[in-house]
Amino acid sequence: MTTNDLAPIIEVKNVVKSYGGVRALDDVSMTLRPGNVHCLAGENGCGKSTLIKIISGVEQPDSGEIFIQGKLQGRLTPLGAILAGIQVIYQDFSLFPNLTVAENITITSQVANRASFFSPKKSKIDAQKIVKELGLNLDMDAKVESLSVSSKQLTAICRALVNDAKVIVMDEPTTALTHTEVGYLFDVVKRLRERGVALVFVSHKLEEALQVSQDVTILRNGQHIISGLAKDFDRESLTMHITGRQVNESREITAPIMTVQPLLKVLNLTLGGAFEDVSFTVHRGEILGITGLLGSGRTEIAEALFGVSPARSGTIEVDGRPVSIRSIQDSQKVGIGYLPEDRLTQGLFQDKSVGDNLIAASLDNHRNKWGFLISNSVARTIQEMFTRLRIKAPSSLVPVRSLSGGNAQRVVLGKLLANHPRVLILNGPTVGVDVGSKEQILSLLRDEANNGMGIIVISDDSPELVAVCNRVLIVRQGKIVDELSGSNVSVSRIQDLTTA
Amino acid sequence: MKDKRNIANPMKTVNNQADSLVRGLIGRGKSNQGTARMLLILLAAFAFFTFLEPEIFLNPVNLSNIMIASPEIGVLSIAMMLAMLTGGIDLSIVAIANLSAITITTIYSELAAVEQEQATSLVLIIIILGLLVGVGAGLLNGFLISYVGIAPILATLGTMQIFNGIAIVWTGGKTLYGAPEQLSAMGKIGVLNVPVLFIAFVAIAIAVATFLNKSSLGRKTQLLGTNSVAATYSGINTKLVLMMTYVITGLLGGVAGILFLVRNPTSSADYGSSYVLLVIVVAVLGGTNPNGGFATVAGVVLATLALQTLASGFIAIRLSAYEYAIAQGSILILVMILDQLSTIRKRKKLPQKSLKVKTKEAAS
Amino acid sequence: MRNSIKLPFGSWSRLRGHNNEGILALVLFALVGTISYLNPVFFSFSTLFSTMRGSIVPLIFALGVLIVIISGGIDVSFAAIAIFSAYTTVKFLNDGAIDPGLLGITLIAVLFGLVLGFFNGLVISLFKLPTLIVTLGTQSLFKGILLAYIGSRYIANPPLSLDEVAKTNLVTIIGEDGRGAYLHVLVIPAIVLALLIAWMLKRTMFGRAVYAIGGDSEAARRAGFPVVRVQIFVYGLAGALAAIAGVMHVTLGRNANPQDLVGNELDVIAAVVLGGASVFGGRGSVLGTTLGVLIIQVINNSLILAGVPTAWQRAAVGILLIVGVGIQALSAKRKTHSRSTSSIASKVLED
Repeated sequence: MTTNDLAPIIEVKNVVKSYGGVRALDDVSMTLRPGNVHCLAGENGCGKSTLIKIISGVEQPDSGEIFIQGKLQGRLTPLGAILAGIQVIYQDFSLFPNLTVAENITITSQVANRASFFSPKKSKIDAQKIVKELGLNLDMDAKVESLSVSSKQLTAICRALVNDAKVIVMDEPTTALTHTEVGYLFDVVKRLRERGVALVFVSHKLEEALQVSQDVTILRNGQHIISGLAKDFDRESLTMHITGRQVNESREITAPIMTVQPLLKVLNLTLGGAFEDVSFTVHRGEILGITGLLGSGRTEIAEALFGVSPARSGTIEVDGRPVSIRSIQDSQKVGIGYLPEDRLTQGLFQDKSVGDNLIAASLDNHRNKWGFLISNSVARTIQEMFTRLRIKAPSSLVPVRSLSGGNAQRVVLGKLLANHPRVLILNGPTVGVDVGSKEQILSLLRDEANNGMGIIVISDDSPELVAVCNRVLIVRQGKIVDELSGSNVSVSRIQDLTTA
Repeated sequence: MKDKRNIANPMKTVNNQADSLVRGLIGRGKSNQGTARMLLILLAAFAFFTFLEPEIFLNPVNLSNIMIASPEIGVLSIAMMLAMLTGGIDLSIVAIANLSAITITTIYSELAAVEQEQATSLVLIIIILGLLVGVGAGLLNGFLISYVGIAPILATLGTMQIFNGIAIVWTGGKTLYGAPEQLSAMGKIGVLNVPVLFIAFVAIAIAVATFLNKSSLGRKTQLLGTNSVAATYSGINTKLVLMMTYVITGLLGGVAGILFLVRNPTSSADYGSSYVLLVIVVAVLGGTNPNGGFATVAGVVLATLALQTLASGFIAIRLSAYEYAIAQGSILILVMILDQLSTIRKRKKLPQKSLKVKTKEAAS
Repeated sequence: MRNSIKLPFGSWSRLRGHNNEGILALVLFALVGTISYLNPVFFSFSTLFSTMRGSIVPLIFALGVLIVIISGGIDVSFAAIAIFSAYTTVKFLNDGAIDPGLLGITLIAVLFGLVLGFFNGLVISLFKLPTLIVTLGTQSLFKGILLAYIGSRYIANPPLSLDEVAKTNLVTIIGEDGRGAYLHVLVIPAIVLALLIAWMLKRTMFGRAVYAIGGDSEAARRAGFPVVRVQIFVYGLAGALAAIAGVMHVTLGRNANPQDLVGNELDVIAAVVLGGASVFGGRGSVLGTTLGVLIIQVINNSLILAGVPTAWQRAAVGILLIVGVGIQALSAKRKTHSRSTSSIASKVLED
């Protein structure tokens, strides 16, 4: 697939955008051509979302120019962008769960046309037309809330097309798809390209950039690092531009204590539809990595071990003894701690102080017989976690909301460690965390492992897995398909197996 | 799936690497803001009415009345605050209070009719029975809300009518006399010119504040109100904590019923029918954010006093009960508008960036 | 596995209705059947007509509450708006000795209702405030203003035209025993309003906007819906409907009492919620609401017939509300549980 020489449909030139003194976008430019897929890549916080908001009229740039089909735009509003054919499909798809597929597909074009009336029959016909054109098979009358994630996404794409989209922006499109569903999506993308639609994939996944895009633009910390043809990049150069560092393949691993009974033994764990026949062991002092594409089942395995959505069959043994984990309390009792994937909604109490957050999971450990908290005990634990995790904050009284990503993550970790877990499962431990904190968190994990803890790291950051894991399990479509250990644990091997 | 357990749409909060000072200020400011503002309003109201009608208003009887009328409203408001803390609401607390009062009165007077001596000696047990009625009602509310999953407004709307119906049938629609004399006697005592009733109120407030901040269950309740998902992931049994919240609300309703009796040795099914709105106004005014997660008991106490001052002030300047109702409604709306404006102003300084890592629908 | 769960008999699901209206209809029939069996007097035109007459005011209230609930909010000030609008109109007309007829009176009352409703809407949508608390506040505010500044006295002689309507019946059936069954003429506007609102919700963009906003207000905003404007109109419309209901109430009761209506909100809210509307928004239908209103009326009527004191009637509605919503809540839980365990993709592309 080669790029084309058609006139650009959107040109963004030298855009600058600040929020309260912080430069979210600093002199960023981007060119979109019809029929091309343009990958806008970068880590979290690099400015991708802000750029998209500016293209779609939701935000106004402080300076810079936007050209749509060669015409300079004065002040682009959301409605103006929609009328110009720019459609954004957000990560949550912005569909109406209580309306049918047909209604969802056609309703926004009705709004754009300022229609006063609505005909369910006509809407179904119009929706069916576009669905057939894309070669899809969706149930027009189904309520969107009953659809799978993949079907929802396809509904959203149909909606964008009914609105006569010339540019479709997709925000992290493959984040929640299984491998097969990603395949379907890329097929649809091909058909869209044939229609001359320009696509923007906002992503931090290398696969998208290399597999399906023609053009790539990379941002880092609000700055425009580079733009070019996808074929001129490879994994290494992409990673280097995105992270700003050479791919660090240094590896420092701990020495597992190979007791007869492993610390954690999982046998034939199954949860229909999520994962199947999962078996592995973790020894004291060992750091096990689990990776796979999102949707492969890796999070579900972790959450089954933590009791969030328990497995239907299979056994779990801790230190040789079988345990039943049907709730979060069960797993805590057994000594399993879990760092959730989304720390904002699942891990932190934003309005509460650092101290409140640190003891949130271990309150029962500090109770006296009347149910009241023993303040010395509480204070001691807070202080201990504060120092041990080197949390950078003026005191434990400040609200957690005021901390940076890296520090906030440390608070969540501290909350878990306060329970003295035997097994620590971390899901995405360094997502949205600055480089310095990243190193510190990894080194902390090594320390804990050396102190006898068994650790499981779930991550799609291959260098991170290489840096700290003794072994790495590859999960695909709910099954463990491979195990890497020793010198086989390398970035390229991991990525080959994951995307195979 | 969005957590829409409260009626309003919760605003998604954001995390970012920008101005930490602003954010620190916001955080620390909010919890003190409610209390400080309340104190100001109380003093302002006091000054205002003193200025208008000094003889009537500063009359010791008037002041004492304020201190006697506040406790029952205050305790009910603290109960409402607890429910709002967890993102819910309890419309049935007044009905629960009445039911408690009726229980105590009925049992006592029936016993006293047969054997006065026994009745007097068993007074404590009878009072505890009244409290148990509150606990039982709270258990029902908690069960419906936490385990069956009915929205708090609907559940308590329903139970309010049920408790009310039971009360009406029990009393035959009449006002009951014959509450334990010990209780009314308490209503007449004062320590250093402060009515015992008021001291009891302050003591209860301190007890609830202590519970919230210093007990494991209280802390869990606060955490649940701040972020129920994070609370679940922290190993808190959110279903149990939510239920216990309504049990405590019911218990406080029972306490309020006792306070009713201390103030007036009568009980009826429709006493305090105008209290529900008043109690919500006090809870919102006192610094509780109706969206859950935030409260200061002190703010509620001050807000109770402020509204009672307003009520008695209105009487002093001869405004009608209807105008008091207008005032309540207006204050409620104004306070919420002001609250929202100040939050919006502070949020404007922060960029809207969120760390979104969507997991598959299967896990939600 | 298919994308959506296709029921074995396609027509079965359509009969059940989007919000289980079919089940509600069944419940209603079962209720009527049981009560008639226990007390044959119940099964008569007289009961039917009096049930319908008793449903007029609650139904019109319920239509307004339904629209608000679908949009994701809740309005408890409707009764206060109703009595405010109706009483004020009647008082001014009486004082001025003008009688513009039922239609004129209704129009004037609707104006008041619109103003009060818009007030609700503005406060709620401009400042994004919690709807329950705001409308609790305005309920007190409106009633207070009515009683304090407009009038607190019972008006026993409303305008003559209303009185005329009060005496008009659509259908009169005299039984053999000389007792009559009277179907009041005001059921017509009630039914017409119900049909109008049903049409509006289904066939106008405003109606779809209400559902969209209730389903996901942020998505609605992104889709270009004028969310704030729609919300203001929703509350304005609810106010207008409440005003109409108020005028009906005054007409049927042949008096205007400013203390009326407020305090009986439970019946209406229960009817709407039982009828399938969810407090979280995005769901609900006029048919379901109508069935809900009828069910509650039937229950109230039968309790009266059985000689049950009014206290128990309120409690009965409370129990009905809890049982009804409880069943909805439990079945919703079961549905999400079963849905969450299936996540493998299905063949969605044709080749």
